[in-house]
Amino acid sequence: MKTNLANRFWNFCSADFLSPKDLIRHAVLIVLAFGVAHAFGLREYTSFLNGTTGSTELGYELSALLGLIYLLLYFATVLLVPILFLAALLASLWHKFHKSNLPLK
Amino acid sequence: MTQGRRIGISLLALVIATALWLPLVHLVFSKPASSFFQPTAVSPRARELAARHLQLWTDPKLRERELQRMRASNAEWDFMGRSFLVWSLANISLRDPATRPGNLETMDRIIEETIRLEQQEGITFFLMSYAKTNSYVVQPARSLFIDGEIALMLAARRMVEEKPEYKELLTQRVNVIADGLQRSPHLLLESYPNECWMFDHCIALSAIRLADHLDATDHSQLISHWIAMAKQTLVHPESGLLTASFTTKGKPLDGPEGSTLWMVAHSLQILDEDFARDQYQRTRKELGETLLGFGYAHEWPRSWHGPADVDSGPIIPVLNISAGSSGMAFIGATAFGDEAYLKSLSTTLDFAAFPKRKSGALKYCASNQVGDAALLYAATLGPLWEKVNKGLQ
Repeated sequence: MKTNLANRFWNFCSADFLSPKDLIRHAVLIVLAFGVAHAFGLREYTSFLNGTTGSTELGYELSALLGLIYLLLYFATVLLVPILFLAALLASLWHKFHKSNLPLK
Repeated sequence: MTQGRRIGISLLALVIATALWLPLVHLVFSKPASSFFQPTAVSPRARELAARHLQLWTDPKLRERELQRMRASNAEWDFMGRSFLVWSLANISLRDPATRPGNLETMDRIIEETIRLEQQEGITFFLMSYAKTNSYVVQPARSLFIDGEIALMLAARRMVEEKPEYKELLTQRVNVIADGLQRSPHLLLESYPNECWMFDHCIALSAIRLADHLDATDHSQLISHWIAMAKQTLVHPESGLLTASFTTKGKPLDGPEGSTLWMVAHSLQILDEDFARDQYQRTRKELGETLLGFGYAHEWPRSWHGPADVDSGPIIPVLNISAGSSGMAFIGATAFGDEAYLKSLSTTLDFAAFPKRKSGALKYCASNQVGDAALLYAATLGPLWEKVNKGLQ
């Protein structure tokens, strides 16, 4: 079971650079990272955008850093992830229509 | 297929996907302008924002935490958050009388606590620290920022329902402001030492206008003299926009500033309607932008180069997006019925201000209490100004 899961994870992680599978893999990783940031409440720290500290205990610099991490992951999720999925779809379609022999790793 | 060809195809696919997705993103966040503002009712967004603010004034721990965060950056925000909330609650109460009892209670609590703090700690309690380092030109020192906003809070509360104790307090503030303006050789009063602000003058004059309406006094001559003076001496020649700050002699300190102008245009609606519309249209043309369905605003027009400051908030480079100006642009857009711009601003708000809803209450994480209170004011404005302009009791 463990080996099977490990294999599946390894299969997921291994993909040719910029192949459709690679694009999807990156999209999934971004969504997962964003999910973690969201679950840890980093959304609250985005107040650095108006110059207000997210937490007086953590101080402005650390709060701003946490807010910036959330901001980058959020915009990556909202802007980049759909682009990666769309690009993967388009590239897959291209490969399909041109009957490429390359496997979609 | 070679690896280079495969990568080339993927890169082309990424370019096409970007070209397809970016123009569509706004549709995910777009809602009708009526979800933010309704001219004859309290919009859903206004109710949610108001619920959050009422929570802050009923939960001392929550309020303390929020105020600490804001005061660590700017003590002014604590004060302005109170003002915008009182003005908003007055508008909500006029639009939806069922909310009046609870709103009046909160308004009174805010007003009384604010005046108490001003008396106990002095005017600098609500000002940035540099107010303490220089001395005011006019003595004894007063800040028009404080006097004007407290006067407008008192007047707004009385517009909803008369409270005899506040009548005298309002008259005192109005007299201090009116006498001060009349004694000033340039009709200008300080908010900070030798620093006068357009925003504060327009708020103070609006308070005087409301006081005239409430108490049958007449300061119309003072108001028209001031407007004439402002048109003549406080307009930035290149843009035709009012300058944001100046010395007591009227020498400009800053150029036209978005975080000031949107509210100024709205305040002018009860002082000089034509001038108000002219300023809004110029501000909209010079500072308002919409890109791919997202609305935002600059802090400065192209003809003026100013730095990012505490009012503008951090300015996002390339597009020059100012959080402060963009937030205040909601006030201009709703006040002047600019539905298309309001819709695009509202789309940006849901996209990039990180709304957080809990038990019917809404806050924007990228904002703070004063930012949310200004948005609440934008979502509710109208009834107070309508009463004054129509001469209704």
